[in-house]
Amino acid sequence: MTAPIFRFKGRAIPFRPGESVAAALDAAGVTLLGHDALGQANRYFCGIGACQNCVALIDGVVRETCLTLAAQGMVVVPMEDAGG
Amino acid sequence: MAEIDVLIVGAGPAGMAAAIEAGKAGLRVVVLEQHQTPGGAIFRQAIADAPAVRIPPRVAAIRHELSAAFAASRIETRYGHVFLGIDSDGFVLAEDRNTGAFVTLKAKSIVLALGAVEKILPRPGWERAGVSTAGGLQVMMKETGRAPAGRVLLAGNGPLLVAVAAQMAALGNPPVAVIEAGDPFRRFAAGVALAAFHQHLAVEAFGYLRELRRHRVEWQRGATLQRIERDGEGLIACVRNSAGEIKFIRADRIGLHDGIRSNEFGLAPANARGPLVVHAGDCREALGAEAAIADGRAAGMRVAAALRGFTHAEPRELTRLRQAEAILSRLFAPVETAHPLAALPDDTVLCRCENRNVGELKALCGGADGLTGREVKHHGRFAMGSCQGRFCADNTAALMAHLRPDLPAPQARDLTGTRWPIRPVPIAALAASGVGQAKEQEI
Amino acid sequence: MQSRHLRNAVVIGAGICGAATAYFLSRRGVNVRLLDARAPAAEATGAADGAVSVASKRPGPMMNAALLGIRLYRELAEAGLLADLFKTRSTFIVARHDDECAVLEAHAAALSGAGVGAEILSQATARGRFPALAPATRMVVEVRGEGHAIGYRIVHRLIAASGLAVDRHEPVTRLILCERGQRIRAVETAKSRIEADAVIVAAGGGSGALLGLAHVLSPRKGQLLVTERAPSLNAGMPGAIMSGRYLMSKGSQTGPNGKPARGIGLVVDPLTTGQFLIGGTREDGGEAGSNDIDAVARILADAVALVPGLANIRLLRGFAGVRMAVADGLPLIGRLPGLTNGYVVTGFEGDGICLGPVAGQAIAALACGENSALDLTPFDPGRFDGLKVAA
Repeated sequence: MTAPIFRFKGRAIPFRPGESVAAALDAAGVTLLGHDALGQANRYFCGIGACQNCVALIDGVVRETCLTLAAQGMVVVPMEDAGG
Repeated sequence: MAEIDVLIVGAGPAGMAAAIEAGKAGLRVVVLEQHQTPGGAIFRQAIADAPAVRIPPRVAAIRHELSAAFAASRIETRYGHVFLGIDSDGFVLAEDRNTGAFVTLKAKSIVLALGAVEKILPRPGWERAGVSTAGGLQVMMKETGRAPAGRVLLAGNGPLLVAVAAQMAALGNPPVAVIEAGDPFRRFAAGVALAAFHQHLAVEAFGYLRELRRHRVEWQRGATLQRIERDGEGLIACVRNSAGEIKFIRADRIGLHDGIRSNEFGLAPANARGPLVVHAGDCREALGAEAAIADGRAAGMRVAAALRGFTHAEPRELTRLRQAEAILSRLFAPVETAHPLAALPDDTVLCRCENRNVGELKALCGGADGLTGREVKHHGRFAMGSCQGRFCADNTAALMAHLRPDLPAPQARDLTGTRWPIRPVPIAALAASGVGQAKEQEI
Repeated sequence: MQSRHLRNAVVIGAGICGAATAYFLSRRGVNVRLLDARAPAAEATGAADGAVSVASKRPGPMMNAALLGIRLYRELAEAGLLADLFKTRSTFIVARHDDECAVLEAHAAALSGAGVGAEILSQATARGRFPALAPATRMVVEVRGEGHAIGYRIVHRLIAASGLAVDRHEPVTRLILCERGQRIRAVETAKSRIEADAVIVAAGGGSGALLGLAHVLSPRKGQLLVTERAPSLNAGMPGAIMSGRYLMSKGSQTGPNGKPARGIGLVVDPLTTGQFLIGGTREDGGEAGSNDIDAVARILADAVALVPGLANIRLLRGFAGVRMAVADGLPLIGRLPGLTNGYVVTGFEGDGICLGPVAGQAIAALACGENSALDLTPFDPGRFDGLKVAA
């Protein structure tokens, strides 16, 4: 059985069941999650949903990657490509 | 379905303890928790098959007892629910992340056990990717059983840094160094007090330090992280040591931590007409997990009692735990006595969400007209962004106070205000909630 | 140049009316003390939708005042003072249902008749001009030459340009009259007594107690919402959207069961930050305090119906303010009856940001014995009986 994956910028990111999107991206060596509307880096920061630094467009909705469980086939898009 | 007697927000130590107590009183209790498991950040559960992060045996025993009692209580817990606030009619608002739906709940009493957030002092470059809070690294480590990869530097102030460092080391990737503003070895009186009155905390601390020594991790005391620069794919930390020398340390990740504070941002004071609202645990006073359990238990008893018409006092343990916290903060008092924000260069980011810097605050505080905290928010956009001031309101208020010693010191609350949503929420969820149509016809 | 008539003045209230009055008095060389019970823009001005607009007005004194208000903003922007704070944009009034179309058509004709640049757009033109708009709209009227300004920022700029340091947390306890009762000699606060040649009361809800106006002024609450930044959606909105229903919901509402009712007049304003300001309710009575989920959900459902792209962004915060409405719907701007040196400027309800500067300019002129462009006759406080200063 192959490991489940989600997509981030065209990359397949493997994850373990129960893992957050942030943790899976971190394990894949991704520390820069994108850029916000002011050009600031989106990055993992507080880990508890408070800082809003780690947001990305996840399956079409702006979400904190640290609070969102990774799921098979999920599509994670950096904020600069979110089209909002 | 029966009306909710006690709605508890947060399934960390305080919320779990409150739920257990209120449940014992035979009340209908519902817990909302943003995560998918109970425990909060401090007792974050590992995913299946992940190795557990090492915690002191005493803490492990407390955790085990609490988790077992919570599981046995069979309290109705709704996971994946992000709390958004209490509206002016007393409705508790949340977003159900499992479905994307907006949830409104009415309860006779509400216990807010939202925990703490870390205090992070700004340093030039703290906004870069690769920089996180040390607690953030720890929570991820607890979840995944994996130490953060690459060269990791921990910096700031307080006992959490050595705990995280020791846990990382035990999982196979010790940090390259721990930069600590205080120097507990030089605070003899506080050290003696800790050993005398809170022996277990001293034992825990020595356990962590032993682990660091074993892995040859340098605990640089009386040292401060001055700034963080980019270095290709990595970072360079500029550190000033206790001798005043500047050293450069290369790192892939930097974990910052300067203490903790209550996560009570935006919460309105209790409304006499609305439901009884009680803050519990770190959300009321940030004293750590053990105090949170005691305080949560007291909150559970208090709402149970209040629903029957009498009140309950603060638990006695809190006095002892507050004293322990005070000793720790003396022990870790920064060696440098200058104001930590006073010497920051003007281009240091103060509010990361709105990208506002120290110089912009100085400009607003420079005129003859003494702006209030709220005016500084309005005109400088400090605390106006997505984190709603959680990571800049304290620092902005403190720097304002430093810049204008003759004016009353503003509080973080003056900048953040009290309002909901306390966290950003997708408009789709609210617009589709149908709440509006239910109550009255459009005019 | 120093005014021949006036050396010093006390302005009570640092909302937009007080700040504007203070600014225009300072420009005339008058020595101004600006007092506020809390702080600048702490009440209605700090919780306003910021419309500088004539789009919802019917011909009459309020339309005339709004046109002058817009003109003044444009002049102050051209002069540099408000260059970065006044955003010129059109208002697009949108009808979603047939019953709104007839009202909207008549309204557009009335606006045009009064010389306002208002035009019914064809479906194709509307689509091209306003890509973010929902396809299922029945009629779009573009009202040109309007703008938007954030109330608290205007106040800050006016105060800074006056060179004033505001006396904050300085509530005025009473006005002290001279022996014959025809002049205000001084204002009394908890901390001091301030003598003045002229006193201007611009204290919003606080004006009621000072002037015996409680029977004339009534509070009206408004709830507003702000989103996160969404630059590309924002770029697809060349101006504000106003629901055609807004035109039908203005004024006081009588609710069922004797409960104070509220109207929802939907306005979506794209801000220069890339955020959106979405409003709002108009509720009789009410405390400023907080928002209720019922109102917020309704406002957002209406907003998404007109601008579907809003569904994909996040609500950042909500806020609510209480504005003062005058019994007959017209603000109080002018000399206090029976007093030679007392003036009042308040009661603008939802029009304070648009009208505050032009009203402050008119009051400053009046206090200095000069004429102003704004005809104050319809707004004369003397039209109400019983308005008097407690000696």
